[in-house]
Amino acid sequence: MSKRIVVDPITRIEGHLRIEADIENGKIKDAFSSGTMVRLLEEILQGRDPRDAWAFVGRVCGVCTSIHSLTSVRCVEDALDIKIPPNAELVRNIMFCAQYMHDHVVHFYHLHAMDWVDVVNALKADPKKTSELAQSISHWPKSSTGYFSDIQKRIGKFVASGQLGIFSNGYWGHKAYKLPAEVNLIGLAHYLEALEWQKEIVKIHAIFGGKNPHPNYLVGGMACAINLDDVSMINAERLAYVGQLLQDGKDFIEQVYIPDLMAIASFYKDWGAIGGGLGNYLVYGDLPTNGYRDSSAYKFPGGAILNKDVSKIYEVDLRKDDEVQEFITHSWYEYAGGNDQGLHPWKGESKVKYSGPKPPFDHLETDKKYSYLKTPRWKGNAMEVGPLARVLVGYGLGREDFKEVVDKALKDLNVPITALFSTLGRTAARGLESTLTAQWGLDFYNQLLANIKAGDTRMADMSKFDPATWPKSAFGVGHTEAPRGALAHWINIQDQKIANYQLVVPTTWNASPRDSKGGMSAYEAALIDTPVSDETQPLEILRTIHSFDPCMACSVHLYDEEGKTINRVSVLGD
Amino acid sequence: MGDEGIGVHVAKQLENELLPAGVDVLDGGTGGFYLLEYFEIYKHVILVDATLDGNTPGTIRLIKPRFASDFPPAMSTHDIGLKDLVSALQVLGKMPEIDLFVVSIHSIQQQGIELTPAIAGVVPDIINKIRCLVALDESIFTEPTIENMIAID
Repeated sequence: MSKRIVVDPITRIEGHLRIEADIENGKIKDAFSSGTMVRLLEEILQGRDPRDAWAFVGRVCGVCTSIHSLTSVRCVEDALDIKIPPNAELVRNIMFCAQYMHDHVVHFYHLHAMDWVDVVNALKADPKKTSELAQSISHWPKSSTGYFSDIQKRIGKFVASGQLGIFSNGYWGHKAYKLPAEVNLIGLAHYLEALEWQKEIVKIHAIFGGKNPHPNYLVGGMACAINLDDVSMINAERLAYVGQLLQDGKDFIEQVYIPDLMAIASFYKDWGAIGGGLGNYLVYGDLPTNGYRDSSAYKFPGGAILNKDVSKIYEVDLRKDDEVQEFITHSWYEYAGGNDQGLHPWKGESKVKYSGPKPPFDHLETDKKYSYLKTPRWKGNAMEVGPLARVLVGYGLGREDFKEVVDKALKDLNVPITALFSTLGRTAARGLESTLTAQWGLDFYNQLLANIKAGDTRMADMSKFDPATWPKSAFGVGHTEAPRGALAHWINIQDQKIANYQLVVPTTWNASPRDSKGGMSAYEAALIDTPVSDETQPLEILRTIHSFDPCMACSVHLYDEEGKTINRVSVLGD
Repeated sequence: MGDEGIGVHVAKQLENELLPAGVDVLDGGTGGFYLLEYFEIYKHVILVDATLDGNTPGTIRLIKPRFASDFPPAMSTHDIGLKDLVSALQVLGKMPEIDLFVVSIHSIQQQGIELTPAIAGVVPDIINKIRCLVALDESIFTEPTIENMIAID
């Protein structure tokens, strides 16, 4: 007999994310992923000036603000055939790399590490042994016995006070935690270091985008003027600061994040065989080096993989009517032309129609509609998006930079390439692409400096900014690779106004409900066969879902709308 | 979006008003970790956010959160939200003085970007209250080098 457990909210992407899982003999037999809130930015955008859309979509989500704005200006530029100057491309790329560095480090330490690192156990570590261990895996200077002993005292006091605060919802002491106390202490210390570090790297967004959060973007380029000698513009001093931030970020990733990731992974190699899921991967590609339209020159190449076969990378065309389509068989929407069809986003509709049970309820009606997320498919296939997809596509295409980092990690951990198709593989891929973007960020920066020194300070092409220059009707698609996966916006401009605007976000690919044929999406598929040793503390579910980096933090602080303390987990009879 | 964006509306209005030197206004977006630095460099932070606490829409409460558990339920749809930020500041030992205005709203499911009349009507009241708090904080005048901030969320 199976038991259904509910984890809600597991995170709050597009509102809340809820997981219902049926457990039999200690393993997940069936799983359902549901987005329980809706925002409908699409309706807000209708009838507005396309040049303003980036500012609205930047609000779609707190973590991804900058990347949605980038996607938005790209789709408008695509529709109106605007080509941005090389400097604007470089600045956008530098901001993109900075966001990856920030996002991936914060995800690893603050959203995911505590699924592997037992904070309370870290208090039992021997600081001297911890120091020796830390020095054996990294050159990072903060690694003395005194440093680790201080951290231990600080957190010990915190724990003793009974106010665990940020650590209050962990499953501390769970038997699935396998790290020695010393590794736990290193993880905890770097959790705190990463908190302080992360506020530095985002300054790059404030410098180029004028402010952070919600930096400024501009259709046609970037709004930041460069003049090496002018104090009110991006000058030599600010550029030097950007270079320093990128270098410091690279050091942190190489000397802290990666050594920690590898040390932790080495104790959890069994997770290289858990949580694989679909085996289908989708990447739109990003980091253009010769304009958005030349996808062959992207640093992150696009492509699709089916059935874990990395030897064959399929081309992806976001403009084709029969490639990316959204279905609503199990989603609380209705389509004017019938609910069974799939719609390409240029023809997309976003009419909500809730038909689920009246809250409060125990179960969703998972045989009917059960989510506010639509179900996107690529040529009918369910696809996983995100770091693992990107790393596999780059690797499958034989790109040297990808092969180098992947082969080294596999060798260091002594695991076969098949270990990548897993929860551990997802978490490792995020680290590997962080090292790539840290290096690329510096490369873009050096190119930007070289351009400026050669006298090119152009930052925007405003020749088509005036709506009078636009065609009566225009369609565009802007895609990017958000840190958590492929993201695209499709726009339909009629008479200078937005007639339709559709976003398909990475977590929709990963967290959507089943399709019309009953096929699962990535979260649901990845949970099948995941072991759950204690139904009241489903740490293993969190590991797999968090490995995808659900868009919003699975904040471990959970509360329901009535303010009652909620149990994140409810165990229900079959 | 909608009433949930009360903070953004208050921030926009405050940006157009004359405030004492040393007081800055920030639209903090959804209040993630990237705001950490502001909480470290400012001595006093005044926050405005929406909450779904079941009170009559438009109810304004002022609370002084010291721990994440002091926050009201269902602050707007944040990722790593203010609660996590406050917890982080606490574990880092860097908590500034925080005043939090919470405004009860009816729903976060509404569409659109404008405030409903019930919520729009309390914006002037919040602004007055913020002005009072700023005026009462003598450190703003006695220690002009330390900036104070009104972070809006």
